[in-house]
Amino acid sequence: MSGSATTGDAHALRDPGIPHATLDREADYLHAEHTLRSWFFTTDHKRIAILYLASITAFFVIGAVTAGLVRLALVVPDGQVFTNDTYNKLFTIHGVVMVWFFLIPSIPATFGNFLIPLMIGARDLAFPKLNLASWYVFMTGAFFTLVSVVLGGVDTGWTFYTPLSTAFSNTWVVPALIGVTVVGFSSILTGLNFVVTIHTMRAPGMTWFRLPIFVWTHYATSLIFLLATPVITLALVLLILERAFHIGVFDPAYGGDPVLFQHLFWFYSHPAVYIMVLPGMGVISEIVPAFARKKLFGYKFVAYAAIGLASVTFFVWGHHMFVNGQSDLASLAFSVLSFAVAVPSAVKVYNWTATIHKGSLRLDTPMLYAMGYIGLFVLGGLTGLYLATLAINQHVHATYFVVAHFHYIMVGGTVLAFLGGLHFWWPKFTGRMYVESWGRISAFLIFIGFNVTFFPQFILGYLGMPRRYHVYPPEFQFLNILSSAGSTILAVGYIFPMVYLVYSIWFGKRAPANPWDARGLEWTVASPPPAHNFLTEPKAPEIPYDYPIQASETQRHHS
Amino acid sequence: MFGLGQDDRRLLWQRMRAPVLASAALLGLLGVNVLLGATRPFAGVWLVEIAVATAMVLVVLLVSMEVRHEPPLVRLFAGIGFFWVAILFAMTLVDYLTRAA
Amino acid sequence: MSAPGTSEVGVRLAGHFATVEQQRRAAVLGMWAWLLTELLLFAGLFLTVLVLRLLHPEAVQEAARHLKFWIGATNTVVLIASSLTMSGAIQLSRLGWQRGMVRCMLATAALGTLFLALKGYEYHADYEEHLMPFLGDRPYALDRLPASRLFINLYYAATGLHALHLFTGIAILLVLTRQASRPGFLAAHQNRIEIYGLYWHFIDLIWIMAFPVLYVLNR
Repeated sequence: MSGSATTGDAHALRDPGIPHATLDREADYLHAEHTLRSWFFTTDHKRIAILYLASITAFFVIGAVTAGLVRLALVVPDGQVFTNDTYNKLFTIHGVVMVWFFLIPSIPATFGNFLIPLMIGARDLAFPKLNLASWYVFMTGAFFTLVSVVLGGVDTGWTFYTPLSTAFSNTWVVPALIGVTVVGFSSILTGLNFVVTIHTMRAPGMTWFRLPIFVWTHYATSLIFLLATPVITLALVLLILERAFHIGVFDPAYGGDPVLFQHLFWFYSHPAVYIMVLPGMGVISEIVPAFARKKLFGYKFVAYAAIGLASVTFFVWGHHMFVNGQSDLASLAFSVLSFAVAVPSAVKVYNWTATIHKGSLRLDTPMLYAMGYIGLFVLGGLTGLYLATLAINQHVHATYFVVAHFHYIMVGGTVLAFLGGLHFWWPKFTGRMYVESWGRISAFLIFIGFNVTFFPQFILGYLGMPRRYHVYPPEFQFLNILSSAGSTILAVGYIFPMVYLVYSIWFGKRAPANPWDARGLEWTVASPPPAHNFLTEPKAPEIPYDYPIQASETQRHHS
Repeated sequence: MFGLGQDDRRLLWQRMRAPVLASAALLGLLGVNVLLGATRPFAGVWLVEIAVATAMVLVVLLVSMEVRHEPPLVRLFAGIGFFWVAILFAMTLVDYLTRAA
Repeated sequence: MSAPGTSEVGVRLAGHFATVEQQRRAAVLGMWAWLLTELLLFAGLFLTVLVLRLLHPEAVQEAARHLKFWIGATNTVVLIASSLTMSGAIQLSRLGWQRGMVRCMLATAALGTLFLALKGYEYHADYEEHLMPFLGDRPYALDRLPASRLFINLYYAATGLHALHLFTGIAILLVLTRQASRPGFLAAHQNRIEIYGLYWHFIDLIWIMAFPVLYVLNR
């Protein structure tokens, strides 16, 4: 708007042969409007993504501080740092906040929201108002959860297992349950928007096999949002009714079955692992080709593997319940099916490594995170196979082995992918470059800090240290101190990006449209993108990931 | 009715034929299930009742909700939920049907 | 033509879509995606009923026989009728017969309200018969069968959740009817009637499943 003021006099002097400038800096989505109202009532998918990014960062801080307090408590074996109650509340808040208020919305609600319309060549998501509503629903859920924390916390663990959560816990379970139930609806609305957008809003010529893998993995994630979330909504509603009216369906005192709650809970919560992992896989599939300068190896396999993971994951939930009273045959079936998950996961890892192979590598910050992701995901995935094995599971169930395993997937996987993606697309989001050397230092710190924190936990768990206790035998103290020391390195690694990224918003170098020389429609628009994304009709690429090095499957046969 | 002319009446009936027939079918099937529920004629009657209820669900989906006229994508979305319900039931029953007594 | 109140029929393009056809497809797919979630929500309840039946066959059977079978059946008829009037509203909206469409929508809302009234009467009858085990200070008629209270409580959860959906549905329908009775509505937003119709039919569908699951199969 203010840009048009300058065109008045200049217009007469213009050579009509020279086309008008396509973008004035004022027209980008960040500067289109400045009022608070223009942020809190925006329907622009990019602004909503930024709202989500700010919110989940706040929750990440809460989750990280509680994790730090848990690690502090575990420095001494006699549980003298906190009372038992406080310790139980700390790990519960850590779990609830990290799972439902950071990991699940982390990549989809931020990067997915921002990038999917850009990547497919659309002006917005299919339902922009619904998209804004999903953020308000998210914040409502967050409010209830914070209320439960402020009133005195919850001590059930993030899994809310019955009958602990229904008959025994005398903490603020109901507000926490309401919070988690409500936040589920925001996931559903986001997933619904993505599914419809990817099906109906692709630019002309943007066929399914020209889509970036990021879009494929978000499609798969959205299907899980739609198909799994309602079941946990119901399970949590039944828990609320149980606490309010003692309806008894999960209460053994009346003949109810606590294991049924676990079935309903894990029907969602196991696929939820893939809600957290699949978007990260999408991020890695964008970063790796860009920094290897090489076409993604086995594009179709990677795409199908995303759908495969999203489907197989619904058949394996019982592997969380091997020792919880489930029938032996069911355990056997769930165990065998769980091994099948390794296949599509391995397809992805092999294809990323094959993409790196003989690529022209640039080890910039996003690529460092991606390499870290691949290594840690492999370790987390392989230890998952240990846990899916019935006999080994008997030994390590509910020990720190499990804790280490899922942190390798959740932190080593999702958080590293989140940070990698944040650095990769930061210039696109903000129009600014961060200081590369700081990025590399913090990527190294996080990788080292993560491993020092969590690798000792594999050993602790294998030796028999149970999770969720802060009193433990003194012989475990050395490994626990090592783990806690690692967490301080990890904390420094997290604080660095928060500082230098925020700093870059005001003082960073201005970013060009495509700082990494990457492929994909999001890099064809200015950084930051214009308010309505595309000034000219976007043109779908003939080949996705059309990078200079084309060593594809067919050429490999000749060599 | 509504002061409609001959042509309009024919047009209305042509449009309303499928919904009216669907409702008639639903009422008939409901009658069967109510009769079976009230009389309980034999032990395995629940199998018949499930079959009748399934038929009613199909009538609503295909005729009332017009899935039969929709493109394949919408048909997929109309069906996929039932497939996922089948996964939920099947895998949970693997547990409950094989528990030691 | 001679039909009363015939108006133009169409959909106005919203800014972020390229074509009206795209916009219509997105709306239909969006509603079906939402209905998927509704189905899975109720599926969890039905699964819980099935598990209770497997764990406590006698108690569940006894409890199911105390439900008001005939009110449930009558309510099914009411909802089937409301589906027919909703289909009528959709068909008339396509023809542009706005007045008839509005009448059909009002009839649908009335039938939905009748369902809720019958449901309320049924709850009242249950209360009189001491079939509300979740009320801690009120005696429970089937106390000799402790597990029966689980099924009865679940019956309230399932029918309550369905009634909540129906109540929301009626509220939205009344707002939509108000909008739809304004001149020019069908020219700009005809597809809202179709999208809403999908939701209404689906609530009907859920009840068509809930009635046998709760009232018939376990008798």
